Amino acid sequence: MASLTSTTAAAVARPARRRSLAVRASATSVKLAGRPLRVAVVGGGPAGGAAAETLAKGGVETILIERKMDNCKPCGGAIPLCMVEEFSLPLDLIDRRVTKMKMISPSNVAVDIGRTLGPDEYIGMVRREVLDAYLRSRAEAAGAEVVNGLFLKFDAPQEPNGPYRIHYNHYDGAKGERGERRTIEVDAVVGADGANSRVAKEMGAGDYEYAIAFQERVRIPEEKMEYYRERAEMYVGDDVSPDFYGWVFPKCDHVAVGTGTVTHKADIKKFQAATRLRARDKIEGGKIIRVEAHPIPEHPRPKRVSDRVTLVGDAAGYVTKCSGEGIYFAAKSGRMCAEAIVEGSANGTRLIDESDLRKYLEKFDKMYWPTYKVLDVLQKVFYRSNAAREAFVEMCADEYVQKMTFDSYLYKRVVPGNPLDDIRLAVNTIGSLVRASALTREMKKITL
Amino acid sequence: MATFAQIPSSLSFSTKPLTKSSLFLIPKRPTLLSFHPIKSGITTSTSTVSPSLDQKLEVNVATHEAKLEVPKRFNDPRWVKGTWDLDQFVKNGRTDWDAVIDAEARRRKWLEEYPEATDTDQMVFFDTSIIPWWAWIKRFHLPEAERLNGRAAMIGFFMTYFVDSLTGVGIVDQTSNFFCKTLLFISVFGVLFVRNNEDIENLKKIIQETTYYDKQWQATWQDDSSPDSKK
Repeated sequence: MASLTSTTAAAVARPARRRSLAVRASATSVKLAGRPLRVAVVGGGPAGGAAAETLAKGGVETILIERKMDNCKPCGGAIPLCMVEEFSLPLDLIDRRVTKMKMISPSNVAVDIGRTLGPDEYIGMVRREVLDAYLRSRAEAAGAEVVNGLFLKFDAPQEPNGPYRIHYNHYDGAKGERGERRTIEVDAVVGADGANSRVAKEMGAGDYEYAIAFQERVRIPEEKMEYYRERAEMYVGDDVSPDFYGWVFPKCDHVAVGTGTVTHKADIKKFQAATRLRARDKIEGGKIIRVEAHPIPEHPRPKRVSDRVTLVGDAAGYVTKCSGEGIYFAAKSGRMCAEAIVEGSANGTRLIDESDLRKYLEKFDKMYWPTYKVLDVLQKVFYRSNAAREAFVEMCADEYVQKMTFDSYLYKRVVPGNPLDDIRLAVNTIGSLVRASALTREMKKITL
Repeated sequence: MATFAQIPSSLSFSTKPLTKSSLFLIPKRPTLLSFHPIKSGITTSTSTVSPSLDQKLEVNVATHEAKLEVPKRFNDPRWVKGTWDLDQFVKNGRTDWDAVIDAEARRRKWLEEYPEATDTDQMVFFDTSIIPWWAWIKRFHLPEAERLNGRAAMIGFFMTYFVDSLTGVGIVDQTSNFFCKTLLFISVFGVLFVRNNEDIENLKKIIQETTYYDKQWQATWQDDSSPDSKK
């Protein structure tokens, strides 16, 4: 297709220029005769569910393939307020509303953040199995076909406008565990199958660096649970993680104690023990009911789209640094991808091509790049060493910092404050970092 | 028994499963794991030991382990209720900020070596900003500034001498020359940024780091170039 080669050549150029070429491409794409566009969404988590719903609502014939319908994902489970609004989530999905967060430095200096939150503001804690099932049911209600199956591979189209053949194992209670091998033909594939994405492997998306997040769910006695009723804790320190943080997040009737790391994955158990030690008095007498671990991508895959196959959510690598937030970006990217497909196909009447999918990438990158970059800078500056972490916790005591942090987390927007406040913040940050590193130099001279 | 000395450590390894199901946790030092290979050798000999002796050994091991594992909590008479009691740092009628800095450095060192459980009843809330800015400057900035100024002065003097001997331009005329001003700029910033040998490598790494994440995000827009996956 001439339009495809012209867009490929322009792909190396800056995205702004390509936008004009992309519009031309979709106008000349093939009109589908007698049938709507067929799209397969592989993976039924937040990304897949959101994508399938928007696709189905847009008139596209959608099939959502999910391997395990009751999958209990190891996940922090925190969702920002904007997700509740943007995705119209019913409030009973949220098990707990966290309004207080405690940040604890390597030397156990504890700072409470959350003073600036309004009465209606909170971080929602959800159970992934509940959220995922809800989004899938919405997709089904919109007209998507939800299938319990394991995606195996796909065959690339034989001719330029040909279909993709998807091979999957269909699980239907009657056939038992192995499932029945099936094949379907679709026009486009959306890979929403998470950090170990098979679709990504099939399309040659490349690898990413990933962190291992390790978590233990602990059921603690009622009186200790009261402390965590609305409170989550974050522990920073070399003992807990060399490049991430340890956490205690409250869930419906238990807490999740965990930690993660990118660079020292082999020592994860040691870090977990250190996290448990730091929280020891608060979780003493608790029983571990579940141990889970999962990879978390650190950055997007080198290739997120290839012809009519694209990736969304964790499969694409949309997890922020510093906080490790992924649920909202997964759902949003699924929705944005689906919107781009619906628009590029004129509500399912035309075949899409790579340029339509690149429009979604462009939109997503443009909208959230500042967020990702800022969190990357924060991680590089403040998770560097114990000194930096001490400075980080000290800075969190500042009300302006708390307000900015929560604003940017809950609403995914940065409201520019008073420039004088920003200057004061910069000065205080530098001051904290300088003091902490000066203390570290003193610490090096001491032998205990 | 020739292997007697090794039994306590290997038996302590076998007590490990007991601690997994509850959260009574003493952090296991990694060194204990290094005794693991001995365990398989020992089990054959302990199977001949009578059960009561076994239990006694385990109890001894547990207390021995307890003494080994639990370090003393950080303790300092001047550390009161989660912060430093500044009244106890008074010297000559004024607060001895240097002593506060020393005390805090020691506390952080202690906690880095022996991390502690957080205390819900008594939160730590000491903030280093209570130590006034001039105390920090006097203690940390001034010696460093002296060092750097000394370096800059030495470099400046010798560079002026060489430029003069090569071109005959005196110090007063050098200050209005563009090339000499560039040299001055380079030497001042060199002295500021490269203070230790490692700094050259660190600076290169930092420059690479600042753009690395951007490159990872832009990768999907570079269709044909191969991704750089090494960090």
